Amino acid sequence: MSAVLAERRRVATVYSEPDDGQLVAMTLGGNPEAFATLVARYDRAVYHLAFRTLHDVEEAKDATQEAFFKAYRSLRTFKTGAKFSTWIFSIVYHACCDRLNRRKRYSNEELPERADPGPGPEREAIALDEARRLRAAIDALPEKYRTVITLYHLQGKQYEEIAEVLGLPMGTVKTHLFRAKEQLRKLLNAEEVTE
Amino acid sequence: MNYDSDDALDRALFALPLEEPPADLRAAILTATAFRPAPLFNPWEIVLLGTIVAIALWLGAVIVMGGSNLFVESVEKIGGLLNEAFGNLTTLAWIAAGGATALWLSIFTGFQSPAKGTFTPRR
Repeated sequence: MSAVLAERRRVATVYSEPDDGQLVAMTLGGNPEAFATLVARYDRAVYHLAFRTLHDVEEAKDATQEAFFKAYRSLRTFKTGAKFSTWIFSIVYHACCDRLNRRKRYSNEELPERADPGPGPEREAIALDEARRLRAAIDALPEKYRTVITLYHLQGKQYEEIAEVLGLPMGTVKTHLFRAKEQLRKLLNAEEVTE
Repeated sequence: MNYDSDDALDRALFALPLEEPPADLRAAILTATAFRPAPLFNPWEIVLLGTIVAIALWLGAVIVMGGSNLFVESVEKIGGLLNEAFGNLTTLAWIAAGGATALWLSIFTGFQSPAKGTFTPRR
């Protein structure tokens, strides 16, 4: 019985998915498939963060591509023991900040503090409607709170990781998250009252 | 739905599906990174080709402008210079010394620690 269990464990180890650090090492060793696996793991989440920050499909797509390109080119500088997800989120966040700064520089108009969520489609299902409401409320948050809440939402990032991605002290992240949630709650509950 | 409690809001946030990326995004990323097609020429090949083309153009121009005598003279002059340079034992000795030093430097690895700079995957 124990032999069967040991064999199962061995097979599970052999066929288990390599972790991100191993994939980075494999990519550096000349295996392009390993980087393709990393892209498959994180492209959706990275795009999500870019889209929530920039509010533009094309710009979010470009920022995501730019982030992966930069990561690929500087893969040798990736620190052993660091988390690839934190690293790639940090790269895309800085790419988004550059784009927002450029937008501010070249636009005469003041950037909207609150995004217009629009009327939205007719209710098809309660879950879909709730998701739409929540997204609209997140969009209505100021940029600094929106980014923190998006990272928090992305696989439930811990305070330390959010602080690392944004380059902010942990206390500031905690305050931003607290205020973001407070504002979200107010927005959602106020909407409920008016509905 | 009421979001008065922190737990309710957290649950709703974590249940929120991620934004769907454009269909061609992954392919675009991979084409720009891991599966980038190899360049047609290496930089040194471009330099070599450029030099050959430049010399061919110069020769063509010299011949077209009726300067075949000038061409013959130039070739003779260059040949003479090379002959003079490499016919000199001192020059050859210096070239040999330079070559040997370059070879030794390319083999010499210094005194760095072997573990430094190597990548070990996280367990």
